[in-house]
Amino acid sequence: MTDVADPPAETEAHADDGHGAHEEAHGHGGHHASLGLSNMKLAMWLFLGSECLLFGALISTYLLSKARFVAELLAGNPRVLETLPVGLAEEFIEAGSVEPMWDIPFTSGSSFILLMSSLTMVLAHKAVTEGDYRNSRVWLAATALLGSTFIAGQVYEFTAFYREGLSYDGNLFGSAFYTLTGFHGAHVTGGIIMLLSLLVVSFRGKLRQDRAETVELVGLYWHFVDVVWVLIFTIVYLIP
Amino acid sequence: MAVVEEPLALPSGESPVARNPLGAFARPRDVSGLKGWLTTVDHKKIGIMYGAAAMFFLVIGGVAALLIRIQLAAPDQTVLSGDAYNRVYTMHGTVMVFLVVMPIGAAFANFLMPLQVGARDVAFPRINGFSFWVFFFGGLMLNTSWFIGGGADGGWFNYAPNNGIAFSPSTGIDFWNIGLLIAGIGSLTGSINLITTVLNMRAPGMTLMKMPVFVWMTLVTQFLLLFAIPVLTVAQILLTSDRIFGANFFNVTQGADPLLWQHLFWIFGHPEVYLMILPAFGIVSEIIPTFARKPIFGYPFMVFSGIAIGFMGWGVWAHHMFVSGIGPLSVTAFTVATMFIAVPTGVKILNWMATLWGGKLILNTAMLFSIGLVTQFTIGGLSGVSHALAPSDTQQTDTYYIVAHFHYVLFGGALFGFMGGFYFWWPKAFGYKLSEKLGKWNFWTMVVGFNLTFGPMHILGLQGMPRRMQTYAEAQGFGFWNFWATVGAFILAVGVILFLVNAFVSYLAYRRADRPDIGPDPWDGRTIEWSIQSPAPNHNFDVDPIVTSVDDFWHRKYQPDESGKIRKVHSGEELAQPGDPTGVHLPAPSYWPIILAAGLPITGYGIIFNLWLAIPGIILTVLALWGWALEPADDLDPGPAGTDDDHGGHGPGGDHEPELETV
Amino acid sequence: MADTTTDTQAHAGTHADHAVHPTEKQYWIVFVALAVFTAIEVALSYGGLEGVQLVAPLVVLMAVKFMLVAGAFMHLYFDLKILNGRLFTWAFGGGLVLAMGVYAVVFAAFRFQV
Repeated sequence: MTDVADPPAETEAHADDGHGAHEEAHGHGGHHASLGLSNMKLAMWLFLGSECLLFGALISTYLLSKARFVAELLAGNPRVLETLPVGLAEEFIEAGSVEPMWDIPFTSGSSFILLMSSLTMVLAHKAVTEGDYRNSRVWLAATALLGSTFIAGQVYEFTAFYREGLSYDGNLFGSAFYTLTGFHGAHVTGGIIMLLSLLVVSFRGKLRQDRAETVELVGLYWHFVDVVWVLIFTIVYLIP
Repeated sequence: MAVVEEPLALPSGESPVARNPLGAFARPRDVSGLKGWLTTVDHKKIGIMYGAAAMFFLVIGGVAALLIRIQLAAPDQTVLSGDAYNRVYTMHGTVMVFLVVMPIGAAFANFLMPLQVGARDVAFPRINGFSFWVFFFGGLMLNTSWFIGGGADGGWFNYAPNNGIAFSPSTGIDFWNIGLLIAGIGSLTGSINLITTVLNMRAPGMTLMKMPVFVWMTLVTQFLLLFAIPVLTVAQILLTSDRIFGANFFNVTQGADPLLWQHLFWIFGHPEVYLMILPAFGIVSEIIPTFARKPIFGYPFMVFSGIAIGFMGWGVWAHHMFVSGIGPLSVTAFTVATMFIAVPTGVKILNWMATLWGGKLILNTAMLFSIGLVTQFTIGGLSGVSHALAPSDTQQTDTYYIVAHFHYVLFGGALFGFMGGFYFWWPKAFGYKLSEKLGKWNFWTMVVGFNLTFGPMHILGLQGMPRRMQTYAEAQGFGFWNFWATVGAFILAVGVILFLVNAFVSYLAYRRADRPDIGPDPWDGRTIEWSIQSPAPNHNFDVDPIVTSVDDFWHRKYQPDESGKIRKVHSGEELAQPGDPTGVHLPAPSYWPIILAAGLPITGYGIIFNLWLAIPGIILTVLALWGWALEPADDLDPGPAGTDDDHGGHGPGGDHEPELETV
Repeated sequence: MADTTTDTQAHAGTHADHAVHPTEKQYWIVFVALAVFTAIEVALSYGGLEGVQLVAPLVVLMAVKFMLVAGAFMHLYFDLKILNGRLFTWAFGGGLVLAMGVYAVVFAAFRFQV
């Protein structure tokens, strides 16, 4: 009796190794969740927890760098002054901050788009859980599209700033700003790739109700990236 | 749903696909030989590989140490030039911290955590394989800097602005950055894996407060890793941006504050040292009770003090910065916090001592090394307490007094604990014990060598010998103790070599005696990993163990009789699971972890030398991610019974189409 | 805007106890709230306020938006009701609180005057 040994009675949802919340008093499967939670969801939350430290460091670095930059400008440090076009430098000095750089209406529009993409994301997940596959594809595509629009907006904003004279390697402010928002943008791009992959899987008919968790996990990542933008928008753009 | 005839009957009633629909992505089925190791997802094999890799890096770091000691043995020597000396001590520290101590911790954590909680493997086996390979490749990449980059030369904590292009123009520090960035990914993914495993995959009845102390300590370690690695990542990204892409994060002429590096590094760095010692604390907390024949004294206190160390470790980092000009308020605050953190560690020391007190001590090698940790860590901790006070630290910092402190806690503490762990769990991993005779020689040589090397450094430090100085003048009077420290270093090296010799010799003896079965429980152990055969079978447990108390295995062997006296009622052999893999399904091996891991250093070399080279690296990485995602969750055809591929008549069945998000 | 609790129970295979799940309408309400708060924030930034008077309401609104996305969209609020669901909040919240604490101290230790 080798490979046809009679298995014990637990044959429920083993479709996903490591998923599922069934207590087995006697199992051969070995994968039983002591806490009744999903392994993958727990892993994703742990990962997001660590990402808080990552973005926290980037945001702190930005705030410190920006503060030092403004302080140096106001003190008239020539090496800092020569990294900016004269007009821009004067605007910063007069405002006592980097506020003149921003185009708040434009960035608000970007923020709104990203918030909307979070909405379409939860609607996509909802559609999958309800078995409404057609709508799930619509919402997934919408999320990817809105995310791409956000990225396009970022690219436009960066090129505008660059043309106005803010370079990456010129001064502290440029380095910090582009690094922080660049990392965020890279995370968004990664999310878009995951969304497109989900779409492909869905079109091949494989993204079904019992796999809704995959969509949920991508959603968690996507919302996190949105939440980081909520922080960036306020801290970088709105607070002087 | 009876699935006797149709091993892979699908819940939907469709018939299984006869052949692998994606031939190119077929998972390997061979678990033997080199390919078996390269594609393994078995946590035990991965743990052994972590340990073996760490031993390899230990030799590299050790040779660097001996070079330092040769250079410093007498005043005014020129064995190593100033530049060479900088590279040697930087790489010594970096290799020892990141490529020896951390991976040995990972080795024990990977091997033991699933066994001690009664699981069959970790939550995400392929990610586990990936964690190892990415660490190994990152470490290899870091060490190629000796040959093609000049070796990092900024010290293991690499302060700004010295770490910038202006003061360190060679590519050595770029290798430091990127090699460690890559290795750090392994630590991060590993931590997510192990936390999920411990929280979510414990055996029935094993509540959190019934887990072995070792599991608790390594669980706290994983949380520390989870939150600390991203901070180092950001610091290294900022530095890489400065060095390679011209950013200004540490450019003082632009107004940057170099202290930013110090803060970011030490916010990582202090939890880092706790995550280096906590696994060793856990190991010792298993060994001492076993060979004192008593349960650990104060189990809840051991657990809570470990958690406390994990929490408080986040609040003390600037004690590495007392002389950096952060101002008296910060200095005072961190002094107080650092003094507080000595308390939970003190609790542990007292508890170990209380466990030893009144026990029937068996002083074998594992126990000796454990007692060595308790003693030597205490010495290191005492010097640590004097560092905590900012006024005294102002004299001690950057002197050999600090060097003495951290070697006592890291080598005399962590590494001694790991050695004990090797002796203790070697039979479970390999099926034979290491020689006790050679073990005692190993231990005593290391004790003598270690204390002779680092003991005098306390004196040297207080006499004013600064660290990281290539040489010293005759007139300074440091020659005497430096000479003896060098003698000690060579004795210590002999001691370490004796361990490797022991491993080799014991293996040969095992082979020559025709591989006798040592049985499941050679030490009369307390925890459930001793309830399975040695070496541990591929599938760990035949059936899930049901746990009813701490030290569950012990309590099933030793029970009170009618008069209430505790008697041994069963031997380990009687209770142990026989190792029958029938009905077991294990995750199949996979190529993708090692392939994905290989893409990262290629990208890294590209970033350092030529961005065009980064492109094939990125392409390989992306393709590997796709291959991973598209790989079938399990292989489709069950192999012969007793191998990893035996599905035992009922696999996780279900879908055999490629899944997007498999582990 | 169909009530989805029955559907939820129907696919409870891999989800332990999905006691509550937001309706589509609730998601839209959250989104509108987020948009409104964003608009208020932008208006505030043009409002001519200075110092704490500007920063405090902005930070408060930012926190509210954060909690809305995390609680509703990321389901954390509803996860509190399932067995051990608090763990998700703690895993994430732990990282968040740690980050805020640690970086706040870094701030405090820095000097900004040239």
